[in-house]
Amino acid sequence: MALASSHNGAKLMNERIRHFDEEPSLEVSSRLTEDIQALFEPELSVPAETDRAVLDRASRHFAGRKFVKTRRIRWVALWKGAAAAAVVIFAFSLDLHDKPQRAVYDSAIAGTDAVDFDRNGQVNILDAFKLARQIELAGGNRANLDINGDGLVNRDDVDKIAFAAVSLTPAKQGPGKGVL
Amino acid sequence: MPVLAQQAGRDDLSPEPGVRFAPLHIYLDSGDRSLAAYQFELKATAGQIEIVGVEGGKHKAFSEPPYYDPAALAKDRIIIAAFNTGRDLPTGRTRIATVHLLIKGDVEPQYELDLTVAGDADGEKIPAEITFEKGEEK
Repeated sequence: MALASSHNGAKLMNERIRHFDEEPSLEVSSRLTEDIQALFEPELSVPAETDRAVLDRASRHFAGRKFVKTRRIRWVALWKGAAAAAVVIFAFSLDLHDKPQRAVYDSAIAGTDAVDFDRNGQVNILDAFKLARQIELAGGNRANLDINGDGLVNRDDVDKIAFAAVSLTPAKQGPGKGVL
Repeated sequence: MPVLAQQAGRDDLSPEPGVRFAPLHIYLDSGDRSLAAYQFELKATAGQIEIVGVEGGKHKAFSEPPYYDPAALAKDRIIIAAFNTGRDLPTGRTRIATVHLLIKGDVEPQYELDLTVAGDADGEKIPAEITFEKGEEK
Protein backbone atom coordinates (compact mmCIF):
# COMPACT_ATOMS: atom_id res chain seq x y z
CA MET A 1 0.00 0.00 0.00
CA ALA A 2 2.63 2.41 0.88
CA LEU A 3 4.53 1.78 -2.39
CA ALA A 4 1.37 2.14 -4.62
CA SER A 5 0.53 5.48 -3.14
CA SER A 6 3.96 6.78 -3.90
CA HIS A 7 3.81 5.77 -7.48
CA ASN A 8 0.50 7.63 -8.12
CA GLY A 9 1.87 10.86 -6.50
CA ALA A 10 4.90 10.88 -8.80
CA LYS A 11 2.75 10.61 -11.86
CA LEU A 12 0.60 13.63 -10.87
CA MET A 13 3.74 15.69 -10.22
CA ASN A 14 5.09 14.97 -13.69
CA GLU A 15 1.88 16.17 -15.28
CA ARG A 16 1.98 19.47 -13.34
CA ILE A 17 5.59 20.14 -14.38
CA ARG A 18 4.74 19.55 -17.99
CA HIS A 19 1.78 21.98 -17.70
CA PHE A 20 4.01 24.89 -16.43
CA ASP A 21 6.71 24.17 -18.99
CA GLU A 22 4.39 25.17 -21.82
CA GLU A 23 4.84 28.83 -23.06
CA PRO A 24 1.80 30.94 -22.07
CA SER A 25 0.13 33.09 -24.74
CA LEU A 26 1.21 36.79 -24.35
CA GLU A 27 -1.32 38.19 -26.77
CA VAL A 28 -4.10 40.36 -25.29
CA SER A 29 -7.44 40.39 -26.83
CA SER A 30 -8.66 43.67 -28.38
CA ARG A 31 -11.71 43.59 -26.14
CA LEU A 32 -9.56 43.64 -22.99
CA THR A 33 -7.46 46.51 -24.36
CA GLU A 34 -10.51 48.66 -24.96
CA ASP A 35 -11.86 47.98 -21.50
CA ILE A 36 -8.57 48.99 -19.81
CA GLN A 37 -8.27 52.20 -21.84
CA ALA A 38 -11.83 53.14 -20.96
CA LEU A 39 -11.12 52.52 -17.32
CA PHE A 40 -7.92 54.66 -16.93
CA GLU A 41 -8.27 57.31 -19.64
CA PRO A 42 -9.05 60.81 -18.18
CA GLU A 43 -12.41 62.18 -18.97
CA LEU A 44 -11.08 65.72 -19.75
CA SER A 45 -7.82 66.49 -21.43
CA VAL A 46 -5.65 69.41 -20.05
CA PRO A 47 -4.73 71.99 -22.67
CA ALA A 48 -1.01 72.66 -23.20
CA GLU A 49 -1.47 76.36 -22.28
CA THR A 50 -2.79 75.36 -18.87
CA ASP A 51 0.19 73.11 -18.28
CA ARG A 52 2.61 75.91 -19.13
CA ALA A 53 0.75 78.39 -16.90
CA VAL A 54 0.85 76.05 -13.93
CA LEU A 55 4.56 75.39 -14.41
CA ASP A 56 5.28 79.09 -14.79
CA ARG A 57 3.41 80.00 -11.61
CA ALA A 58 5.04 77.24 -9.66
CA SER A 59 8.47 78.41 -10.79
CA ARG A 60 7.76 81.97 -9.66
CA HIS A 61 6.40 80.74 -6.34
CA PHE A 62 9.48 78.70 -5.44
CA ALA A 63 11.80 81.40 -6.72
CA GLY A 64 10.18 83.81 -4.20
CA ARG A 65 10.60 81.34 -1.34
CA LYS A 66 14.28 81.06 -2.12
CA PHE A 67 14.67 84.84 -1.93
CA VAL A 68 12.93 85.01 1.45
CA LYS A 69 15.13 82.24 2.83
CA THR A 70 18.30 83.98 1.70
CA ARG A 71 17.16 87.24 3.28
CA ARG A 72 16.36 85.40 6.55
CA ILE A 73 19.80 83.85 6.56
CA ARG A 74 21.33 87.29 6.18
CA TRP A 75 19.32 88.62 9.16
CA VAL A 76 20.38 85.66 11.30
CA ALA A 77 23.99 86.26 10.37
CA LEU A 78 23.65 89.93 11.30
CA TRP A 79 22.15 89.09 14.69
CA LYS A 80 24.90 86.57 15.38
CA GLY A 81 27.52 89.14 14.55
CA ALA A 82 25.89 91.73 16.78
CA ALA A 83 25.65 89.25 19.67
CA ALA A 84 29.32 88.33 19.32
CA ALA A 85 30.30 91.99 19.30
CA ALA A 86 28.20 92.60 22.43
CA VAL A 87 29.92 89.73 24.24
CA VAL A 88 33.36 91.06 23.31
CA ILE A 89 32.47 94.59 24.46
CA PHE A 90 31.05 93.24 27.74
CA ALA A 91 34.17 91.17 28.37
CA PHE A 92 36.43 94.16 27.85
CA SER A 93 34.24 96.32 30.07
CA LEU A 94 34.95 93.97 33.02
CA ASP A 95 37.99 95.10 34.96
CA LEU A 96 39.46 91.73 35.74
CA HIS A 97 42.58 93.27 37.22
CA ASP A 98 40.61 94.59 40.21
CA LYS A 99 39.43 91.20 41.44
CA PRO A 100 40.06 90.63 45.16
CA GLN A 101 43.37 89.11 46.15
CA ARG A 102 43.32 85.62 47.62
CA ALA A 103 44.07 85.41 51.31
CA VAL A 104 46.68 82.70 50.89
CA TYR A 105 50.42 82.43 51.11
CA ASP A 106 51.83 85.19 48.95
CA SER A 107 55.02 86.81 50.09
CA ALA A 108 55.42 89.14 47.14
CA ILE A 109 54.96 92.01 49.55
CA ALA A 110 57.47 90.59 52.00
CA GLY A 111 60.36 92.57 50.60
CA THR A 112 58.65 95.89 51.23
CA ASP A 113 58.48 97.97 54.37
CA ALA A 114 54.85 96.98 54.91
CA VAL A 115 55.72 93.68 56.58
CA ASP A 116 58.35 95.29 58.80
CA PHE A 117 55.58 96.49 61.07
CA ASP A 118 57.75 97.71 63.95
CA ARG A 119 60.20 99.37 61.52
CA ASN A 120 63.30 97.87 63.11
CA GLY A 121 64.73 96.65 59.80
CA GLN A 122 63.92 93.01 60.53
CA VAL A 123 60.88 90.98 59.56
CA ASN A 124 59.99 88.26 62.02
CA ILE A 125 57.10 86.85 63.98
CA LEU A 126 57.15 89.77 66.40
CA ASP A 127 55.96 92.03 63.57
CA ALA A 128 52.94 89.79 63.11
CA PHE A 129 52.40 89.62 66.86
CA LYS A 130 52.47 93.41 67.23
CA LEU A 131 50.06 93.89 64.35
CA ALA A 132 47.69 91.34 65.86
CA ARG A 133 47.80 93.21 69.17
CA GLN A 134 47.15 96.51 67.41
CA ILE A 135 44.15 95.08 65.59
CA GLU A 136 42.77 93.73 68.84
CA LEU A 137 43.15 97.12 70.52
CA ALA A 138 42.13 99.41 67.67
CA GLY A 139 39.75 97.12 65.84
CA GLY A 140 39.69 97.18 62.07
CA ASN A 141 39.36 100.94 61.81
CA ARG A 142 42.94 101.99 61.17
CA ALA A 143 43.86 102.11 57.52
CA ASN A 144 47.60 101.87 58.24
CA LEU A 145 47.03 98.31 59.53
CA ASP A 146 45.85 97.15 56.11
CA ILE A 147 49.08 95.37 55.22
CA ASN A 148 47.83 93.43 52.19
CA GLY A 149 45.92 96.39 50.75
CA ASP A 150 42.59 94.63 50.36
CA GLY A 151 40.68 97.41 52.14
CA LEU A 152 40.14 95.28 55.23
CA VAL A 153 42.04 95.00 58.48
CA ASN A 154 41.86 91.44 59.71
CA ARG A 155 43.74 88.19 60.23
CA ASP A 156 44.84 88.13 56.61
CA ASP A 157 47.08 91.13 57.27
CA VAL A 158 48.70 89.34 60.19
CA ASP A 159 49.17 86.22 58.09
CA LYS A 160 50.83 88.29 55.42
CA ILE A 161 53.58 89.32 57.78
CA ALA A 162 53.89 85.91 59.43
CA PHE A 163 54.29 84.14 56.10
CA ALA A 164 56.87 86.70 55.03
CA ALA A 165 58.80 85.94 58.23
CA VAL A 166 58.96 82.18 57.59
CA SER A 167 59.59 82.39 53.86
CA LEU A 168 62.60 80.38 52.72
CA THR A 169 63.29 82.71 49.81
CA PRO A 170 65.87 85.28 50.96
CA ALA A 171 64.74 87.90 48.45
CA LYS A 172 61.30 87.88 50.04
CA GLN A 173 62.48 88.41 53.58
CA GLY A 174 63.69 91.98 53.46
CA PRO A 175 66.92 93.40 54.80
CA GLY A 176 68.37 91.88 57.93
CA LYS A 177 65.90 89.04 58.07
CA GLY A 178 66.84 86.07 60.18
CA VAL A 179 69.66 87.63 62.17
CA LEU A 180 68.88 89.26 65.47
CA MET B 1 40.94 41.63 37.91
CA PRO B 2 40.84 45.40 38.89
CA VAL B 3 40.95 44.46 42.58
CA LEU B 4 44.01 42.33 41.99
CA ALA B 5 45.64 45.17 40.05
CA GLN B 6 44.91 47.64 42.83
CA GLN B 7 46.42 45.36 45.44
CA ALA B 8 49.50 44.94 43.31
CA GLY B 9 49.80 48.74 43.15
CA ARG B 10 49.64 49.03 46.94
CA ASP B 11 52.53 46.65 47.25
CA ASP B 12 54.56 49.03 45.10
CA LEU B 13 53.96 51.87 47.62
CA SER B 14 55.73 50.09 50.43
CA PRO B 15 58.65 52.11 51.85
CA GLU B 16 62.03 51.74 50.23
CA PRO B 17 64.65 49.88 52.22
CA GLY B 18 66.48 52.25 54.55
CA VAL B 19 63.68 54.81 54.61
CA ARG B 20 62.04 55.62 57.95
CA PHE B 21 59.94 58.29 59.59
CA ALA B 22 60.82 60.08 62.80
CA PRO B 23 59.45 63.05 64.75
CA LEU B 24 61.68 65.79 66.07
CA HIS B 25 60.27 67.52 69.14
CA ILE B 26 61.29 71.15 69.60
CA TYR B 27 61.44 72.65 73.10
CA LEU B 28 61.83 76.24 74.24
CA ASP B 29 62.75 77.29 77.74
CA SER B 30 61.87 80.91 78.47
CA GLY B 31 62.57 80.70 82.19
CA ASP B 32 60.11 82.65 84.27
CA ARG B 33 59.02 84.81 81.36
CA SER B 34 55.79 84.10 79.55
CA LEU B 35 56.32 82.94 75.98
CA ALA B 36 54.02 84.73 73.52
CA ALA B 37 55.92 84.31 70.25
CA TYR B 38 58.80 82.35 68.81
CA GLN B 39 60.58 81.82 65.53
CA PHE B 40 63.34 79.34 64.77
CA GLU B 41 65.10 77.70 61.87
CA LEU B 42 65.84 74.00 61.57
CA LYS B 43 68.11 72.39 59.02
CA ALA B 44 69.94 69.12 58.59
CA THR B 45 73.72 69.28 58.56
CA ALA B 46 74.28 65.58 57.96
CA GLY B 47 72.24 62.69 56.64
CA GLN B 48 69.44 62.81 54.13
CA ILE B 49 66.06 64.00 55.37
CA GLU B 50 62.83 65.42 54.05
CA ILE B 51 60.42 67.45 56.16
CA VAL B 52 57.00 65.88 55.72
CA GLY B 53 54.88 67.70 58.29
CA VAL B 54 54.70 70.17 61.16
CA GLU B 55 52.40 70.12 64.17
CA GLY B 56 51.86 72.43 67.10
CA GLY B 57 53.13 72.21 70.64
CA LYS B 58 51.88 70.86 73.92
CA HIS B 59 50.65 74.06 75.56
CA LYS B 60 47.25 75.30 74.51
CA ALA B 61 48.71 78.63 73.38
CA PHE B 62 50.80 76.89 70.72
CA SER B 63 48.79 73.77 69.98
CA GLU B 64 47.71 75.01 66.55
CA PRO B 65 50.03 74.28 63.62
CA PRO B 66 52.60 77.09 63.41
CA TYR B 67 53.49 79.24 60.40
CA TYR B 68 55.96 77.79 57.93
CA ASP B 69 56.73 78.09 54.25
CA PRO B 70 55.00 75.24 52.38
CA ALA B 71 58.02 75.18 50.10
CA ALA B 72 59.96 73.71 53.01
CA LEU B 73 58.13 70.42 52.75
CA ALA B 74 60.23 67.77 51.05
CA LYS B 75 63.33 69.81 51.88
CA ASP B 76 65.82 69.69 54.73
CA ARG B 77 65.42 73.27 55.96
CA ILE B 78 62.45 75.07 57.48
CA ILE B 79 61.59 78.25 59.36
CA ILE B 80 58.82 77.88 61.91
CA ALA B 81 57.04 80.60 63.88
CA ALA B 82 53.95 81.13 66.02
CA PHE B 83 52.46 83.64 68.44
CA ASN B 84 49.57 83.98 70.82
CA THR B 85 48.05 87.24 72.01
CA GLY B 86 46.14 85.65 74.87
CA ARG B 87 46.98 85.72 78.55
CA ASP B 88 47.34 81.97 79.10
CA LEU B 89 50.96 81.52 78.05
CA PRO B 90 53.58 78.92 78.93
CA THR B 91 56.63 79.54 81.04
CA GLY B 92 59.71 77.40 81.63
CA ARG B 93 60.46 74.54 79.24
CA THR B 94 57.68 73.65 76.88
CA ARG B 95 57.35 71.74 73.63
CA ILE B 96 56.50 74.34 71.00
CA ALA B 97 56.36 72.18 67.85
CA THR B 98 57.04 68.77 66.36
CA VAL B 99 58.60 68.35 62.94
CA HIS B 100 57.98 65.07 61.17
CA LEU B 101 60.86 63.84 59.08
CA LEU B 102 61.50 61.21 56.44
CA ILE B 103 65.00 59.87 56.85
CA LYS B 104 66.78 58.11 53.99
CA GLY B 105 69.86 55.96 54.19
CA ASP B 106 71.88 54.68 57.09
CA VAL B 107 73.61 57.94 58.00
CA GLU B 108 72.28 59.32 61.28
CA PRO B 109 70.99 62.84 60.58
CA GLN B 110 72.45 65.81 62.40
CA TYR B 111 70.40 68.94 62.96
CA GLU B 112 71.09 72.58 63.50
CA LEU B 113 68.52 74.59 65.39
CA ASP B 114 68.68 78.39 65.58
CA LEU B 115 66.30 80.49 67.62
CA THR B 116 65.53 83.61 65.63
CA VAL B 117 63.44 85.33 68.28
CA ALA B 118 61.31 84.70 71.32
CA GLY B 119 58.90 87.31 72.62
CA ASP B 120 56.77 87.94 75.66
CA ALA B 121 53.22 89.19 75.96
CA ASP B 122 54.35 92.77 75.35
CA GLY B 123 56.07 91.87 72.11
CA GLU B 124 59.48 92.35 73.64
CA LYS B 125 62.36 90.01 72.90
CA ILE B 126 63.22 87.64 75.72
CA PRO B 127 66.15 85.30 76.24
CA ALA B 128 65.31 81.65 75.72
CA GLU B 129 66.99 78.35 75.01
CA ILE B 130 65.85 76.08 72.20
CA THR B 131 66.51 72.34 72.13
CA PHE B 132 65.20 69.27 70.35
CA GLU B 133 64.56 65.63 71.15
CA LYS B 134 64.37 62.83 68.63
CA GLY B 135 61.18 60.85 68.78
CA GLU B 136 60.61 57.19 68.09
CA GLU B 137 61.40 56.15 64.54
CA LYS B 138 58.85 54.15 62.56
